[in-house]
Amino acid sequence: MENAIEIKNLSKQYLGFNLDKISFSVPKGSIVGLIGENGAGKTTTIKAILNIINAEGSIKIFGKDNQKDEKEIKENLGIVLDDSFLSEYLTAKGVNSIMKSFYKNFDAKKYFAYLEEFKIPLNKLIKDFSSGMKMKLKIATAISHDPKLLILDEATSGLDPIVRKEILEIFRQFINEDGNHSILLSSHITSDLEYIADYIVFIHEGKIVFNLETAELLENYGIIKCSEEDFLKLKKEDYIRYKKEKYQVEVLVANKNAILKKYKFKVIDKPRLDEIMLFYVKGEK
Amino acid sequence: MKGLIKKDLLNLASYKTTLLILIIFCGIGVIGSSVNIAPLVICTIIGMISLSTFNYDEIAKSNKFILALPLTRKEVVLAKYILAITGIILGGILGIVLTLLVVNIMNIIRPNDLLSINYQSLFINALSGMFGISLIQAIQIPSIYKFGAEKGRIQMFVIIFLVIILIAGAGFLITNLGLNINTQEITNFLNKYGIIILIISMILMYTISYKISSKIFLKKDF
Repeated sequence: MENAIEIKNLSKQYLGFNLDKISFSVPKGSIVGLIGENGAGKTTTIKAILNIINAEGSIKIFGKDNQKDEKEIKENLGIVLDDSFLSEYLTAKGVNSIMKSFYKNFDAKKYFAYLEEFKIPLNKLIKDFSSGMKMKLKIATAISHDPKLLILDEATSGLDPIVRKEILEIFRQFINEDGNHSILLSSHITSDLEYIADYIVFIHEGKIVFNLETAELLENYGIIKCSEEDFLKLKKEDYIRYKKEKYQVEVLVANKNAILKKYKFKVIDKPRLDEIMLFYVKGEK
Repeated sequence: MKGLIKKDLLNLASYKTTLLILIIFCGIGVIGSSVNIAPLVICTIIGMISLSTFNYDEIAKSNKFILALPLTRKEVVLAKYILAITGIILGGILGIVLTLLVVNIMNIIRPNDLLSINYQSLFINALSGMFGISLIQAIQIPSIYKFGAEKGRIQMFVIIFLVIILIAGAGFLITNLGLNINTQEITNFLNKYGIIILIISMILMYTISYKISSKIFLKKDF
């Protein structure tokens, strides 16, 4: 499968933080969710992809080097950054006239149609927008030049559930528009990624903990809650991590159906993404 | 690059009324006391305003977003210099035009108390204003790229203070040490080459400043 983004051995050192040789890819036509706690390295990874920071390693976007072919690549990127935009002292109308100068393919008709759909006022200063309106404006700006790839950093953070759902629907619509459209989305809101992402890349303390298909994670993974005695019967290769709680042991397994057949557990719970993350971070092997 | 300049101009447009009132009052006030200082003051105000675009960028943390657009880092820096230089040139022109306009209006209103204009010193004062503000910009822009707009503002006051101390100190030394300086010779030299020296100095200052800013910005992480 062709990749929209291909990252190999990406490293970046800051004082007290180290992004440690991470590698993953974003297959064309898919949504990849980059997940991890605050300060895990998600934003650093995105900044490196966008060449906003200098980092070591190889980053290819549409098969091209992100530094050598930077301008050409960026013509086909749509960017939404949680904490950064053109200015707070512009209007949505002003943003149109500026963005037209940046992108050859910026479609003003499409942009204004999005603004109408998102109910964004044209002549109000951005600083007076609500967080949801600001985010919707950023998204309208990012997708109005028909980019092949959307890169979104914490695009749903700080928003209420209704606006978040609306925004996730916009992303789904973007992916369904064209089979070549892809999205890399970073978030620490696990439910959003469960809902939308095809693949989940989990970063913890600058390292990739897992990179798996969402369906596999949610359908095949399971959590066993059992006594210590029953836990001891489990072979080490049959589970991923375990956590000792006050009255029971909780065990994360990768293939719950196989485990159900092999052992005599009656119930294996379907895990949520945040539970899986906790097992990887806090659990033992 | 056109987009970047447009962004800065639209940012500045948000306080166009304040700016207009400020220039008019300042112009009238200064002309009332000394006709020739007006272009210097107006040019300084406009020159400083173009530096304030850095503050807008800092509030919106816009550099991160801008670097994700199809632009090179050199273009981002160049756009700032184009705006700064255009601001100074416009400031100079506006200073002269506004002075002439206000003086003529005042002469019509008060025909018994006519204000006279010395065109040469008006032009030289406008150019001096342009030179002064370009010196501040040439030091300030690389410094803002390195340390940020907030620290840059404090630094600007320090620079202005140092320049004043330096000039006053030099004046004090010359008068107190009893140095025999042929002022006539200096005046003749400045009359002959002053304008060319100012213009060449401005070009040099901006070129060096741009090179330093580019070097800082090319390596900077956001």
